[in-house]
Amino acid sequence: MNRFNQLLTLRIDPTRKKAFTYLGKTYQGAEGDTVASALYANGVRIFARSLKYHRPRGLYSLDGECSNTCMEVDGIPNVRAENTLLKNGMAVKAQNVKGTPEKDLLGFMDKMSWAMPAGFYYNTMHKPAMIWPIALKQIRKVAGLGKLAPDFAMTGKYDEIFPTADVCVIGGGPAGMSAALSAAENGLRVIILEARPWLGGFFEYRVAEYQNEVPLYQRARDLAKQVADTPDIRTFTHTAMVGAYSNNLITAFQIGGANDSFDQRYIEIRAQSVVVATGCIERPLLFDNNEKPGVMQIGCAHRLARTYGLLAGEKAVFSIGHDLGLEAAIDLFDLGLKISCVADIREDGQDPGLVEIMQRKKIPLLRGWVATEAHGKKTLNKVTLSTLQGTRDKEFSCDLLVASAGMTPVTGPLTLAQAKLAFDNHTGFFLPTQLPVKMHAAGRMSGLNDALAIEASGRCAGLQAAADCGASVDANLDEARTSLESRPGPVKGSKMVTAPVKGDKTFICFDEDTTVKNIKQAIEKGFDVTELIKRFTSAGTGPGQGGIPGHNLPLFVAQYNADPDVSAKPTTIRPPLVPTFIATYAGANHDMCKRTPLHALQKKAGGVFRRVGVWNRARYFSQDFTCRDEIDNVRNNVGLFDASTLGKFKIWGPDALKALQRVYVSDMSKISDGKIKYSAMCNEDACLIDDGVVIKRGKNDYYFTTSTARAGATVEWIRYHTRYDGWNYSMVNLTDAFGVINLAGPDARKVLAEITDADVSNDAFPYTGYREFKIKNTIPVRAMRLGFVGELSYELHAPSSYMPALWEILEDAGSEFNIRNFGLEAQNVLRMERCHVIIGAESEQRTTLHDVGLGFLWDRTKTDAKTVGAFALKQTEKQAGRLKLVGFKTEDSDARAPRDGSIIVDTKIRGYVCIARHSHTLDEVIGLALVDESLAKIGTKLEIYEDECGDKRLYAVVAPTPFYDPEAKRLKM
Amino acid sequence: MALTITCPICGKRNGYEFRFGGEEKGPRPAAHGLNPETWCDYVHNNNCVAGVQKEWWSHRDGCGSWFTIFRNTLTNLEADEPEERYEQV
Repeated sequence: MNRFNQLLTLRIDPTRKKAFTYLGKTYQGAEGDTVASALYANGVRIFARSLKYHRPRGLYSLDGECSNTCMEVDGIPNVRAENTLLKNGMAVKAQNVKGTPEKDLLGFMDKMSWAMPAGFYYNTMHKPAMIWPIALKQIRKVAGLGKLAPDFAMTGKYDEIFPTADVCVIGGGPAGMSAALSAAENGLRVIILEARPWLGGFFEYRVAEYQNEVPLYQRARDLAKQVADTPDIRTFTHTAMVGAYSNNLITAFQIGGANDSFDQRYIEIRAQSVVVATGCIERPLLFDNNEKPGVMQIGCAHRLARTYGLLAGEKAVFSIGHDLGLEAAIDLFDLGLKISCVADIREDGQDPGLVEIMQRKKIPLLRGWVATEAHGKKTLNKVTLSTLQGTRDKEFSCDLLVASAGMTPVTGPLTLAQAKLAFDNHTGFFLPTQLPVKMHAAGRMSGLNDALAIEASGRCAGLQAAADCGASVDANLDEARTSLESRPGPVKGSKMVTAPVKGDKTFICFDEDTTVKNIKQAIEKGFDVTELIKRFTSAGTGPGQGGIPGHNLPLFVAQYNADPDVSAKPTTIRPPLVPTFIATYAGANHDMCKRTPLHALQKKAGGVFRRVGVWNRARYFSQDFTCRDEIDNVRNNVGLFDASTLGKFKIWGPDALKALQRVYVSDMSKISDGKIKYSAMCNEDACLIDDGVVIKRGKNDYYFTTSTARAGATVEWIRYHTRYDGWNYSMVNLTDAFGVINLAGPDARKVLAEITDADVSNDAFPYTGYREFKIKNTIPVRAMRLGFVGELSYELHAPSSYMPALWEILEDAGSEFNIRNFGLEAQNVLRMERCHVIIGAESEQRTTLHDVGLGFLWDRTKTDAKTVGAFALKQTEKQAGRLKLVGFKTEDSDARAPRDGSIIVDTKIRGYVCIARHSHTLDEVIGLALVDESLAKIGTKLEIYEDECGDKRLYAVVAPTPFYDPEAKRLKM
Repeated sequence: MALTITCPICGKRNGYEFRFGGEEKGPRPAAHGLNPETWCDYVHNNNCVAGVQKEWWSHRDGCGSWFTIFRNTLTNLEADEPEERYEQV
């Protein structure tokens, strides 16, 4: 197809070719083409088949308002071809097609439409129920848009940014640009969002005169240059606004260009004030076969020529209701389009200048006529026009029908922001009657048509927005208002909704194949509210988000119901306003995990890392995931464990002890010098939320640890529960400032003695002791004798920067004792053998301190402390029907360990397995479970049900705990 | 999150940075003389005002302080302290 290559309005560069494939063939497009315009340039007229009836569909609006041109591009389904710039090597496929879009084997579905009245799913598919699964499969074969393979993985680069602005302008047309410039002149930072890849709106492609022989497109470029030259305006082009929320939070997504580091990026803008200048789209004209390829809107035909250098057809008929249609007819006529006839819905009121030009050029104009039917097997070859009452008709053969009922404002952003809209009789628009605070509407969406009036209204809105931000704009605002009032106001709009047709094949919603007949069926069934009709007929629920039926639906319903007061309202719009990839919302999907100071060393030592909460932790140190060697070494020699993820805190000040008393269940005034105190925190319901140790380092100075998962919330928790008291204490989270190494095993003392001068003998540093000393006379450590893994062990806390050195020193000193790393899984088994609980493993959110057998920690005498959970601890102490933590063993020591989380059953669910492993040390299968009190007695047989185990069960017996070293001799040795 | 909250220390910030701490219900009741009903009321039962309520927030990703604001639960916007406040139910 020949393309214009000299037009000044072109946005393509025909000399720079881009190759792409479609239907197995390679085609050429030009730089600047969208996928849709490139296909059109190559003669493609049918882009897809429709959802239900497999009707051929083609270009209609060029702005992606319907699914007509949703295609599969590079394996990604439902890509809006009209909004996607062509790239070299793109592979494009049509959707919902069996065969090719031209020859679709399911094309016969169109003849079946009689069998699918509105609500046919609801009416026919529920009885008998067994029919559903069968019908569903068949329907899915036939209906739908893009298809996703189950193993589909999204490709592309996605990003996100969160800019702030004083003023956010939605829409980069003349009004939007004027608003932005006015606001920026008052020293404000402005963001403009424009859906198309360039600024200019509906000026941008038109050659009609703006003023003083300057054409509109030139004016658009002048404004765009002014915007570009204003440093306080940040412009996002090819950026669709998708959401508006309270406090003027605007969301959008941008499609990346050739030089951008992203394919799409999510933008979330916090603005003080917002100007909505989204302009208008065309209200689709309703007549028979109104979506046949070859029928398109004015802007589509006009922009195809002016922006993309393509004449949409050879011989055209126009059926329009707005002066833009006349202007387009004249311009396209000048570019070589043959025009059989221009039918204008309006009997009068046309711009006399345009009518005169048409007469001069001998373009026939029929006033008060409208298209009633488009003919043609697949694409258009003939049009029937008739008078508005349908009394007379004429036929014209043609391959292009430019059809549109009139303009309609893009009110989506306003509705999202919960503005009130009402039907305006003069313009035929839904206009805002009440805007949210600090939101302004401007430009063509308020019904204006005059170029200078549109700009003036933009200036007004920009200045009002500036005033919202505190700028003093009174003088300028008065001036802008005066110039707005001096220009023509809103123009009278065409109110026609549907041509005089029955409506069997008149599509009000293209995405969902909803016809005017379907709407009538719904109304006759008793649905009288547009919202309900929308749901019953699914009109406006497709990917176009109501772009096509948008305002036609409420207007049609009002007209059909002969609603006298036209209380019709557009149906509710919800974000995203424009179909958005979930990948775009996900953004770059950063993995924001934390690493311990020992990460690199453990990696080098062969650590296998797993994400655990916010941390990336070494779970194993070999490919043997039973960790047999790691466990053996701790039990027999000495092991080294990175426990840096533990929460670590300092709390100090005159009231520090009171704060501890408030959150810990034990009496924290009884912490001895040089000793650790183990205690727990509960929530108000007595449920266990944390455990750890507290150390008193000096007067009013405490150091305490929390479990890893709880580290993030601890400061907040303590402050929350003391918020009324005005206590004088301070707290600092040292979790990242300090690292922790657990040196554990019978030889641990020997290793430690080699590297410190401090006396670490059992007498000088006994079990549950706390000491501070230096390693190699340099590294200050806080050492605690704990026994989480059930062996002699030292927990060494040291500043993070020293951790790698400390680790290497310990490895060196321990080499003669066969020291080696152990990971999280080994620790898990070791502590389980000793029955030390981990919160979150042996407890869940309903598990109380009593349930896990830690009730002894609770001090019931300190009532003045108002300890969190104390009241509920009393209430639940003897409460019946609770789950209790028990140990169990399988009867057969060769049995497989049940999976963690398996449930314990008899006639009903009685509990669950918290953890179970084959203990190499004991050569038994052991585990911990939370079970119903009735099953908690030692010797009770437990029946364990695993997922997908069918009739098979695993059996275990409640056993005394701890399993390993019940007298705790090894801890104290 | 569209919500913004004005932290008394850091100023007006994005709602993402804060943790909700529930309705303002006054200080913890003393332990003695409590019965389960009054305790449960204090801990779990809320007024769920449709309108302006006083509530606690923590500037979790900022200064860490706990403070109260007034928020209109219908618009999700911060509000001024109402002149007349309903009695606590």
